[in-house]
Amino acid sequence: MKDSVKLDRKQTLTISRRDFMNVAAATAFTIVPRHVLGGPRHVPPSEKLNIAGVGVGGRGAGDLNEVGSENIVALCDVDDKYAAGTFKRYPNAGKYRDFRRMLDKEKNIDAVIVATPDHTHAVVTMAAIKMGKHVYCEKPLAHSIYEVRRVTEAAREAKVATQLGNQGQASEGTRLVCEFIWDGAIGPVREVHSWCNRPISPRGIDRPKETPPVPGTLDWDLWLGPAPERPYHPCYLPFKWRGWWDFGTGVLGDIGCHQLVSIFRALKLGYPTSVEACSSGINSETAPLASIVRYDFPAREGMPAVKLTWYDGGLMPARPQELENGLRFGNADDNLFVGEKGKMLSHRLLPESMSKDYGRPPRVLPRSPGHHKEWINACKGGEPAGSNFDLAGPLTEMVLLGNVALRMGQQLYEKGLKLYYDGPSMKITNLPEANNYISSKYREAWTL
Amino acid sequence: MKDKKKPNEEKHIKISRRDFVSAAAAAAAFTIVPRHVLGGPRHVPPSEKLNIAGVGVGGRGSSDITALSSENIVALCDVDWKRAGGTFKRYPNAKKYKDFRRMLDEEDKNIDAVVVATPDHVHAVASIAAIKRGKHVYCEKPLTHSVYEARMVAEAAREHKVATQMGNQGQASEETRLLCEYIWGGAIGPVREVHVWTDRPLRGLSDVYWPQGVGRPEDTPSPPDTLDWDLWLGPAPERPYHPSYVPFKWRGWWDFGTGALGDIGCHSIDPIWRALKLKVPLSVEASCTLVNNETYPVASRVTYQFGPRGDMPAVKLHWYDGGMRPPRPDELDDGQQFGTNGTLFVGDRGKMFGYLIIPESRRKEFGKPPQVLDRSPGHHQEWIDACKGGKPAGSNFDHAGPLAEAVLLGNVALRPAIKEKLTRLKLLWDSANLKITNLPEANEFLRCEYRQGWSL
Repeated sequence: MKDSVKLDRKQTLTISRRDFMNVAAATAFTIVPRHVLGGPRHVPPSEKLNIAGVGVGGRGAGDLNEVGSENIVALCDVDDKYAAGTFKRYPNAGKYRDFRRMLDKEKNIDAVIVATPDHTHAVVTMAAIKMGKHVYCEKPLAHSIYEVRRVTEAAREAKVATQLGNQGQASEGTRLVCEFIWDGAIGPVREVHSWCNRPISPRGIDRPKETPPVPGTLDWDLWLGPAPERPYHPCYLPFKWRGWWDFGTGVLGDIGCHQLVSIFRALKLGYPTSVEACSSGINSETAPLASIVRYDFPAREGMPAVKLTWYDGGLMPARPQELENGLRFGNADDNLFVGEKGKMLSHRLLPESMSKDYGRPPRVLPRSPGHHKEWINACKGGEPAGSNFDLAGPLTEMVLLGNVALRMGQQLYEKGLKLYYDGPSMKITNLPEANNYISSKYREAWTL
Repeated sequence: MKDKKKPNEEKHIKISRRDFVSAAAAAAAFTIVPRHVLGGPRHVPPSEKLNIAGVGVGGRGSSDITALSSENIVALCDVDWKRAGGTFKRYPNAKKYKDFRRMLDEEDKNIDAVVVATPDHVHAVASIAAIKRGKHVYCEKPLTHSVYEARMVAEAAREHKVATQMGNQGQASEETRLLCEYIWGGAIGPVREVHVWTDRPLRGLSDVYWPQGVGRPEDTPSPPDTLDWDLWLGPAPERPYHPSYVPFKWRGWWDFGTGALGDIGCHSIDPIWRALKLKVPLSVEASCTLVNNETYPVASRVTYQFGPRGDMPAVKLHWYDGGMRPPRPDELDDGQQFGTNGTLFVGDRGKMFGYLIIPESRRKEFGKPPQVLDRSPGHHQEWIDACKGGKPAGSNFDHAGPLAEAVLLGNVALRPAIKEKLTRLKLLWDSANLKITNLPEANEFLRCEYRQGWSL
């Protein structure tokens, strides 16, 4: 804690410097080399990036593997035990528990991979961006809509290369979905369904009462980061934080940014105008065991208004008439597009016979060199990655808006409402209390 | 327990007599023999009182009996004398029993009609035993625990010409009639899609009436002295007593209850059934939360497909429970509750939320439909009248049987054993042959296995 207070002060200093520089940057034509302003170091494609990882025990380990062509120069995790394997694989990397200290000490970092629990995504990402580091952040981009908006704006301002960890965006399938839809294969789409039965747990339970001691290998205070104080319990980590509202974002937050990205792109979605949700029960501590979240989007660029329905916990829409018997329609995860002229399951036209007649749509989108590679290229001056924050931000905001509706479930029932949403101003316009869930409360000494 | 064997033998004898009677009645339809000679229901004119017995009188049965208290309550049966205590006290002159078979045996001459309000797994055996003795039957919803039982009970009632009524009292309401009249009056045009939902087993959004999605308890506390656990189990497979089952919470267990769909479906699907003149679903499919072999899932969505009927087009019926519901229709005004339970009809020319056309402007424009249906004297009164020679009650088993079958067929689509297979098909239903035609192993879930010593 002492360490973190000290660093905090330094961070504040850094922020002030950065804020000054943003003002400087606004005078856009001043010819000052970027590195002098503390912006990202110029790394030509022939050189290697110096990458640091924050949260390296779980998904972060996989991300580091994916960028193994570059130099892994520093690693940070609050849980020595969980991170041990990754620490061992990179013996030359500096090891840290506190990302603020790491960013402070390691002057040679070009880029940071953030794969902490959801509740620390924004503070880590923002700190890195403000120091001019490129950022790869695991999905969802942040824990709250407010954080997402701030992080997205900061990245744009600092001109760093960014990528969200929704690797499916780089797939052939995502491109095919867009190309089918844009080619009019199923006509205008007014209805889409997306579902996932991922059994993350715990969900639908209350906070534990017992307070076991914190393992010596874990810095619980740093694990909590900006989240409200509470005693350590093994039901939160590793991984199980996903079901707890203070730390995770439920199945929707976990999977939504993956699974909704093709819908978001193909239908050119932006801010929803309204959202409603129902669930298998409301609990102020954890996400529900099962839920259905419904978004309304207005008409966009030649596309009609569309309703998007998300299901988790095993629920899914009814089997479409067009799907031939014997073909799988499982509850694991999938997307069903309902167009005026036909239906599409993921990127497969229904029925199969229609799929055969239609063939493939014209190829209009460039293919990806790979999701992590996109980011590496962008960090070295290439084109922006496919899920750079300007694209991933609005996607994540939409996803997290669903959780606002879930958490307001009781009131939605009682008051007979959907939540109306004003995207640009990040406001629920017809139920003021709902705005409490647009941002997360930070502990003292933590800010964005 | 000892007491159980003797009545069983006696029952066997009675059933034989009944079978003989049925055969005789069927063979010689025009023989003029007074019905009572054949052991059919006693003729009770409207001026006289029925002699009614109750089976399962601690919970819902207690209110059914109150609703019938214009008649004589002559015998009461419950396996749990503590839970039944209040009802026993209210009818001090009624004889008390634990075993309905013994009651029917000993009180055969005194009983005209039986109210069955046991847990679901006992509905069929109790109802059939009564029907075969020529007793009129009022049975709580769902009519039975399995599709097969529903068919058997309805057939037996028809054969024995007894007056019947299922306990879905909403069928007698003004709302149900208005709904039919609006739909038949063309208020929203042909209906191709209906949604119906309940939050059960939730009680509000942060509590449950009974748990689902849980496993079998491992501890085996001894049953209270006031409970005959073996009789409570009835035809269900043997298992040790546990307070997780009784009272009331049996609803969530496959062996005893029928989940949220069974509990509420016969109530809330009934008006849809009538308004859309549904008969038998062609297919059923479902999705749900994690489900095991012990309890129903926490939440589910069941979809039935019905073919065209007369001038009505094919229609899809979507059921949701456990807090799930359909999207809030745009036609509903802000601030108007969409409800934890409700029904939404989607017609070619509009929507109805329950029996209300939405939006309100369209409701005003349409006005009231012509009244074409008789109003009810009351759900329990309908049955009393039918028992006394009046017209059949609104939810007599010829109506309630097929409705309960459809409801229970939905539960078949939730069975964990066939869940994987169901990702590749909908269950196709051949009602005439009581058979699922495209997944043979699903047929085993149309009926329940009975413990030795129990049969229909």
